[in-house]
Amino acid sequence: MTATPAPLTHAEIEELLGAYALDAVEPGTAAVIDAHLEGCIRCAVEVAQHHEVAGLLANSGGQPPTALWDGIARQLGGTSDESWDRLAARLDQPGAPMEPVRTPDAAADPAPAPVVPIDAARRRSGRVAAGAGLAACAAAVLALVLGLQVHHLHGQVSALQGGRQLSAAERAALASPDTRKVPLAGTTAAGTAATPATVVLTSAGTGFLVDDGTDGFQALPADRTYQLWGVVGDRTISLGLLGPHPGIAPFSVAGSAPVTEFAVTDEAAGGVVASANRPVAVGVVRA
Amino acid sequence: MDVEQASDANLVVAVGRWHEPALAEVYRRHGGAVHALARRILRSDAPAEEVTQEVFLDLWRNPEKFDAQRGTLRSFLLARTHGKSVDVVRAEESRRRREERTTRETATAAYDIDREVWDMAVAEQVKDALVALPDELRQPIELAYFGGHTYKEVATMLDEPEGTVKSRIRSGLGRLRVNLIERGIEPAGAGL
Repeated sequence: MTATPAPLTHAEIEELLGAYALDAVEPGTAAVIDAHLEGCIRCAVEVAQHHEVAGLLANSGGQPPTALWDGIARQLGGTSDESWDRLAARLDQPGAPMEPVRTPDAAADPAPAPVVPIDAARRRSGRVAAGAGLAACAAAVLALVLGLQVHHLHGQVSALQGGRQLSAAERAALASPDTRKVPLAGTTAAGTAATPATVVLTSAGTGFLVDDGTDGFQALPADRTYQLWGVVGDRTISLGLLGPHPGIAPFSVAGSAPVTEFAVTDEAAGGVVASANRPVAVGVVRA
Repeated sequence: MDVEQASDANLVVAVGRWHEPALAEVYRRHGGAVHALARRILRSDAPAEEVTQEVFLDLWRNPEKFDAQRGTLRSFLLARTHGKSVDVVRAEESRRRREERTTRETATAAYDIDREVWDMAVAEQVKDALVALPDELRQPIELAYFGGHTYKEVATMLDEPEGTVKSRIRSGLGRLRVNLIERGIEPAGAGL
């Protein structure tokens, strides 16, 4: 029988990170830490560092058993259970079979970014999740930077609301090994962690945001809109309006320096040139 | 794709596209380390081979779980290997057998790292870095990592408070990282 583990504070979890990294905590405690790491980049980084050190200790190396590979190879066929496949399948055109597409770039599949609360109660509490730069700037004014070749696609985006399916070009982009996807992390109305959308980036500097349907952004009133932002260097720029019901929204940052982080805010219809609102979802682009 | 020339990260991308030669290359590069760690923890061939197979099949099925920004592929595979091996060790039958043994003397005698890490290029420095740790920091790490014990079990074995042991494991790993860096070995892993 497994007792329900008591809630742990951040400090208590920190003390356990070494033991956790060595698989030396009880399963219930490990589950609590697993959940914590989903939203705490600092702790996740520490665990990764402990794993690297432990990996060096274990590096006894040597030749792998050849016979073992034969056993592995016999079991490779017919396995497909990827969340990315499921996402693609949900968005796929009816009747248009799609080849299995997996994460095109493992490096572009980071752990969820810090969770940014979106409900009013949390806003009032002033709590800001620690971690990546976007979360750190959650309370800061998002500055619009002119001069970058950012194409606002408000009109196009508006036309794409309401269950639009992936275009052939977008489907091709998903299948390209150069395409990267950036999960945007946020919270649901109930306060639980969620990944409401994914940003898909092509090597050509174009991209599109895919709302995650059931766990996606909450529909806004008609006088509100979601707005997409990108961090380029030390500047935050608007990448366009997503409308009150984001579905699949294209954008372009061609010609600009690479976007390193994305954020989505909730704004008055028409958008703003600079936002004082906290992001409802954020995501970091891995190099 | 020339798998022999590909980086580990690119191999994982290829694995994600169902490219079997890429997985074979990952196995060629890291299978020995994975199997050796499993064998060391489990001290038996059959379960070590099962764990090794599971680790590579997991990579085949879920390559997106590897994040190149969080560390090397080898450390990722070894962490998975360790977790699976410890699960086996902690299975009820293994637990019963282990509890029949005396604790401290047997365990510490069995986990002599000095003989085990010589065949890697960094083995000497890793050993030095580990030896440079005070005993009270090194022992909990060895017992937890190579013995597959929980920190609470380690506390019992060493007759120390649980809180002390968990703190020593954490600070010991931190000190070990510093020791390795001082010896010219830069463990990967995302920086803060």
